[in-house]
Amino acid sequence: MRDTPLSNCERLFLLQAIQEKKRLDGRQTYDYRNIKILFGTDYGCCIVELGKTRVLCQVSCELVPPKDSRPTEGILYFNLELSPMASPAFESNRQSELLVMLNRQLERCLRNSKCIDTESLCVISGEKVWQIRVDVHVLNHDGNLMDAASIAAISALSHFRRPDVAIQGREVTVFSPEERDPIPLSIYHMPICVSFAFFLQGSYLLVDPCEREERVKDGLLVIAMNKHREICSIQSSGGIMLLKDQVKPVEMLLLVEGEHENHSSERIKPFPVLLCFSSFVLMQRKEGGKFGFAESLPIERITALKRDEAPVEMADVKDTAEEIINRTESSTEVYPPGLKTRERSAASPVLVATGTAQVGEGIVNSWGLEEDEDDEVIIEDKGGGNPRRLQNKGELELSLWLYFRLLYHTVRLHLFSLVRPGKLQDSEDLMQCLTPRVYLDDLEEGAGHTEEALMVLLAGSTSMMASSSGISSSISLQLVMSFVDF
Amino acid sequence: MAVEMRLPAALKHICVKTSKSHREEKHLVVPGDVITSDTGFMRGHGTYMDEDRLTASVAGEVERVNKLICVKPLKTRYNGEVGDVVVGRITEVQQKRWKVETNSRLDSLLLLSSVNLPGGELRRRSTQDELAMRDYLQEGDLISAEVQSIFSDGALSLHTRSLKYGKLGQGVLVSVSPSLVKRQKTHFHNLTCGASVILGNNGLIWISPTATREEEEGGGGFHTSLEPVSLSDREVVSRLRNCLLALATHKVSLYDTSLLYCYESSLSHQIKDLMKPEVMEEIVLATRQRLVEHEG
Repeated sequence: MRDTPLSNCERLFLLQAIQEKKRLDGRQTYDYRNIKILFGTDYGCCIVELGKTRVLCQVSCELVPPKDSRPTEGILYFNLELSPMASPAFESNRQSELLVMLNRQLERCLRNSKCIDTESLCVISGEKVWQIRVDVHVLNHDGNLMDAASIAAISALSHFRRPDVAIQGREVTVFSPEERDPIPLSIYHMPICVSFAFFLQGSYLLVDPCEREERVKDGLLVIAMNKHREICSIQSSGGIMLLKDQVKPVEMLLLVEGEHENHSSERIKPFPVLLCFSSFVLMQRKEGGKFGFAESLPIERITALKRDEAPVEMADVKDTAEEIINRTESSTEVYPPGLKTRERSAASPVLVATGTAQVGEGIVNSWGLEEDEDDEVIIEDKGGGNPRRLQNKGELELSLWLYFRLLYHTVRLHLFSLVRPGKLQDSEDLMQCLTPRVYLDDLEEGAGHTEEALMVLLAGSTSMMASSSGISSSISLQLVMSFVDF
Repeated sequence: MAVEMRLPAALKHICVKTSKSHREEKHLVVPGDVITSDTGFMRGHGTYMDEDRLTASVAGEVERVNKLICVKPLKTRYNGEVGDVVVGRITEVQQKRWKVETNSRLDSLLLLSSVNLPGGELRRRSTQDELAMRDYLQEGDLISAEVQSIFSDGALSLHTRSLKYGKLGQGVLVSVSPSLVKRQKTHFHNLTCGASVILGNNGLIWISPTATREEEEGGGGFHTSLEPVSLSDREVVSRLRNCLLALATHKVSLYDTSLLYCYESSLSHQIKDLMKPEVMEEIVLATRQRLVEHEG
């Protein structure tokens, strides 16, 4: 089925917004959407969510005879499929231009860059080699399929373990995972594609276009790069003529590392962080906790609230209403601005109707939180700590505290040493932020520091990452929050 | 700035029992429902034979004409009939024709020979005309047209051989289900509130400010005025659009009278308030009431 065509109004609106440096979802020109990488129960299964774009990748292996021209090398086979569930425009078994382009780019990015050591996949030269098959399925199309597919493919390849083999003469014994631990693939480097969309004849550039932006783009530039600042492939499509002086700034964007580190290269760095998170998940799996898809399948938040009608006695409503009006006294005095909002709202001219809530200046937040005051006070008061006001939340504190300790001990090795590989002082600062020495000592005094500790942790990590890029901070926040969710 | 938030609530459907308009209960079926076990009937669209029993394959109302039983679906793509007025969007410009998207199963076709040339001349279309096609209608343009004929595969052939059809200029497009648009003598209405409405049979409805000027020179409907529209006209158009959406949400048949009544009931509310579910309910109820009185 063909997609409904974009109306002229929408097209004009998008282009105008881009000219004014605005994007539909509020991102900046070089901002990426939130990336979530999740691994499944099998080795080599990975789902990547780039905003709303979802891509699933599965890696599998098989022993096959090698190619005649390369008898000592293993075979890599890539296959990308556009599932009809991704978009109404995709039809199964239809060879479209997009499909060919994605497949070709994926192959170029991963095979031609020689990121996987194919020689190590050889079992018996000329007779048996491992064929690694990478299947990528697009589950939801919200723009930028190439990036998501490349991230999914390389994550799945890193996650994958092939069975161990033993060779005796010409006999090959393949061991099952129970007999011998499976072996990971040897990966030299991790190339990831970054897409740049050009608009209005190359005068405007956006990174990570969403689906709407992709529809109005003039051209697309996909650059595959790895952590070592090597460009693995460049592909320009869409018929836009890019002059050398237009491509150069883009490259510089990727390679520059300065005080205000640009977002694309920063994206490459947190990526190993996330991979280590994945290995943490694998360790967690042995402890029997919930992990992988089971906990990551989107938990449907409240999307519908059904309220039945309640019959109301209307017989003498007029009398009751008059009584109530007569009883309450009219308050005409003006409240001084220094008062807390709670007291002020008693005489507010704005009525909160049932089923609605109002958030704004001078109006109390009526979403039903009891701990408004507590939150306010916590943020102001990091150093001191007032244990008395949090005594009634004993259990919550304790569980949070346990989580926090687990966090600290198990995560520090994996996470923080890799955050800034070249910048020791930064990671040390981070460690300092997180070192709960203060809190450990004060455990007896009052566990009231738990919430503060959590706030400081979040504040600390976000401020550390905030100097570089929005993405990293969001990733780190996600990491921290997801740890807490365990 | 205060922001209002509301929790989504289940939509309640208003049931206004109009005893006069329904002589008998509508026979509604869902796919798989057995319509009849009598073998004397011929089966029409939306049905199939399942072991000697006539079963429905779509969800809708059963219609019986003498010996023919068919099921008219409630929600469907637009099925064109000759003579229908449609509003569509150009998706492709091909050699001697344009492909128009009209919310049907296949894209409709607008042949070059079925449009009026600018200047109103009557002559054979030359290769010059072919090359200049893009100057007349481009991808993304909205047009109003009439169905001339239906091809064997079900695609519609449109024509704009009248001054009232052609490219649409400034206005608002509303998309509703095709089954809601009532079949009438004319689909072009100049409402008394100050706007014109084209109720396309394919569910695409075009609301625009009434053109008070005389016809453009040459006609042909390819010239669209880009003069700024005044605020009062814009408000009328927005209000109409919200009313249309309210009626469509509550599955009220759309025609000029129902639209006008709805507009009048909505005058007591602000235009932006018309998007709220309870206000929509209120005005639709009022409209239904007036419609029943009008007919009854």
